[in-house]
Amino acid sequence: MIAYKFLRADGTGVFTRFAWPLPADGPGAWVETEPDPCRSGIHACRVGDLPYWAGRVLYAIELDGEIVEHKTKVVARRGRLLVRVDAWDDDFRAAYTRHCADRAHEIARATGLERWEDVIEPSVPEGPALLGFVAARIAERAGGVPAYHAERARQSEWLAARLGLV
Amino acid sequence: MAEHISCQEVVELVNDYLDGALEPEEASLFEQHVNFCDGCEFYLDQIRTTIATVGRITEEDVPPETRDKLLDAFREWRRT
Amino acid sequence: MTEAELQDRAATEEAALLARLRAGDERAFETLVGRHYPTMLAVARHYVSSRAVAEEVVQEAWLGVLKGLDRFEGRSSLRTWILRILVNTAQTRGAREARSVPFASLAPEGDEPAVAPERFRGAGDPFPGHWRAYPGNWQRLPDEALHERETLEIVVATIGQLPSAQRLVITMRDIQGCDAEEVCAALDVSEGNQRVLLHRARSKVRSALEGHLDG
Repeated sequence: MIAYKFLRADGTGVFTRFAWPLPADGPGAWVETEPDPCRSGIHACRVGDLPYWAGRVLYAIELDGEIVEHKTKVVARRGRLLVRVDAWDDDFRAAYTRHCADRAHEIARATGLERWEDVIEPSVPEGPALLGFVAARIAERAGGVPAYHAERARQSEWLAARLGLV
Repeated sequence: MAEHISCQEVVELVNDYLDGALEPEEASLFEQHVNFCDGCEFYLDQIRTTIATVGRITEEDVPPETRDKLLDAFREWRRT
Repeated sequence: MTEAELQDRAATEEAALLARLRAGDERAFETLVGRHYPTMLAVARHYVSSRAVAEEVVQEAWLGVLKGLDRFEGRSSLRTWILRILVNTAQTRGAREARSVPFASLAPEGDEPAVAPERFRGAGDPFPGHWRAYPGNWQRLPDEALHERETLEIVVATIGQLPSAQRLVITMRDIQGCDAEEVCAALDVSEGNQRVLLHRARSKVRSALEGHLDG
């Protein structure tokens, strides 16, 4: 299965700080974990999960072995980084952050939640992950949980189209 | 299950997270939040730093009198 | 080496030590005593009134360990087994002293928020429960700040002032490297309870450190 994975700028896992073998001339080396993918295992994003995990650097990852699907991630026993998604760079992150901020304003105004707008611009420097949450959260405030998920789906579609992801 | 958790909830879950005691979906919500919230990333780091600092406390050695008494007891036990 | 490999190696080494002990090797006994003494003393102090009595309890417990050596089957860690003997000894001694050992209060009661509620946005806010102001980024502190003597003294002092059970759990887990099972044996509490105790203890120490580093 092909999925996606955000890493820190130095190529380490966001939470594990594991130093991933990076793709050079071809995919990075396979990484294998202990059995029991519910506890340990390699975490990755389907396209729909990307907005939840927006990070610094993005890779396509090939997963192998037993794969467990969770609400906003998949967990596998084996994985290897295939290629870096170069289009996900600092300019792109800024553009996506701006897009989420604009959406947040739009939803707030459309639903009478203008007093929520105060938190949007100050959040922008914190980047795409936060603004994605802010926009979805405002949508949820207006339209409940389905609206939260709908906004997240819009975000992932926006990303997929511009990053050329399948 | 909630779609997201607050910072106030995160600070109560930090210890369970570090101990691997959160259910997978709960751990996911925790990590998602820390991913987007700088404040909670700093807090998680503070807890880790706290643990590391506590770990630097050194302990006393066995006091000599205690050690001698225990050795005597050991020799006594060995004899029987 | 993986975690599992490290544990295997430790278990093998411990088995060798026990074999030497059973054969009457004094050095093996000294090694074992040195290794477990701090934990045993800390646990004993939780159950009895004075350090002097705690030391006696530890000595008595070692006798119990020697007498019971043949019965140790290795199903728990050696330390867990030693601690159970120690706790039995301490409880007997504590009972004889008629010290009111607050077993009931070992179970975490009531609310002790890890962070003061005022530091989070309130119910009327668009983002209730979020930080009003972010805590400090300690990665930005100069190295010396965390390593200077005063920092460690504050940590030691804070731990010294914790309620007894919280003090014991953080001492065992974070200073002495005991695992959850060993703490549960020492305090006769569930794994969930020991985790709550550890959570509260660590939260207080973090707070004290914050006061020192950011204040």
